[in-house]
Amino acid sequence: MRTDYLLLALVVGASVWAFRTMPFRFDMSRLSPEGWLSRLLSATGPAAITALFVVSVMPLLGGGQAVPFWAGTLSVIGIWFWRRSVVLATLTGALVYGLAFAI
Amino acid sequence: MNEQSARFSHGLVAALPVALGYFPIAFSFGVAASRAGFSVLEATGFSLIIYSGAAQFLAIALIAGGAPLLVSAFTLVAMGLRHLAYGPALMAAAGQTRIKRAWIWAFGLTDEVFGAALGEMARGRRFSEAFMFGLGLASYASWVIGTLIGALAGGGALAAFPAVEAGLGFMLPALFLALLLSILSRAQMPVIAVAAVVTILVTLAVSATSGILAGMLAGALAGAVRRRA
Repeated sequence: MRTDYLLLALVVGASVWAFRTMPFRFDMSRLSPEGWLSRLLSATGPAAITALFVVSVMPLLGGGQAVPFWAGTLSVIGIWFWRRSVVLATLTGALVYGLAFAI
Repeated sequence: MNEQSARFSHGLVAALPVALGYFPIAFSFGVAASRAGFSVLEATGFSLIIYSGAAQFLAIALIAGGAPLLVSAFTLVAMGLRHLAYGPALMAAAGQTRIKRAWIWAFGLTDEVFGAALGEMARGRRFSEAFMFGLGLASYASWVIGTLIGALAGGGALAAFPAVEAGLGFMLPALFLALLLSILSRAQMPVIAVAAVVTILVTLAVSATSGILAGMLAGALAGAVRRRA
C-alpha cells in the first residue's frame, strides 16, 4: 500500500472513528444549540454533501445524459420519501439510471 | 445461549437489509478504486480503515484528480462531521447516557446502521451494546467483502455491460443525494443553497476540488452566521 494512501486512510479513518464515538464519551448536549460552534458543526455536513452532490452531477448534466440523470434523481427522491432508507434510495437510483441509459 | 449472545444475534439479523444494500455499493467502490489505479490491498484497506462510503468515493475522486494530500484530508475529515449528530440522537432514543463500549462498536455507526438502530428501537427493541455490535459487524463485513470482490473483479470488469457500468457510475451522486435528503431540514436550506451556488461557480471558474472546498466552507459559514428566524 502506498504510504500517502495509507496516511490518508489513517487520518480520515481516525477522524471518522472519533466523530462516531466522541459523543458517547463527552456530553455534546452541553454545547449551546444556538452557539456559533454548534451552528458551524451542524452546517458543515449538509454543506459538504451538497458540494459533493453538485460536483458529482455536473459532468452528467454536461455529458448529454439528461434523461437517465433525471430518471435516477427522481427515483432517489421518491424512494427516500417512501422508505426513508439511504441504501434503498441509492440502489434504486442507480438501477433506474442504468435502465434509462440502456433504453 | 445467554442474553448477550442472543442480543448480538438479533443485531446480526437486523443488519441483513443493510448488509444486502451495502454489498453492491461496496462492489462498485472496489471497481471504481481499481479503475483509479488502486491495488486490491489499497481498495480493501480503505474500506477496512475508513468505512465511510461517501468519504471513500470522494477520496478516490480527489486522488485521481491530483488533489494535494492535505486538501483531500481536510475535505474528507470535514464531511465526516455529520457523524457527530448520531451519538446524541441514539442515546436520546435509547433513553440512557451510560454506554461503556461505544469506542469499539460506534466505529460501525454509519448513516444506515444509525438509521437501522433507530428503526429497531422505534419498533420496541431495547437498546443494548451487544445488539449494536451485531448490527455493526455484519454491515462492516459486507462492506469490506464487497470492496474486496469489486477490486478483484477490476476496473474493466464491467466494460461489456455499459448499462451496468453507467448505473454504478450514478451510485455516488445517488448516495450523496440520499444522504442530503436524510439530513435535510428547513433550517439548513440557506446552507444548502449557498453551498450549491458557490460550488457551481468555483468549479466552473477553477476546478472541482476547489469547488468542493469553497462550497463546503461557504455553506458552513452561512450556517454559523445565520440568526434564529
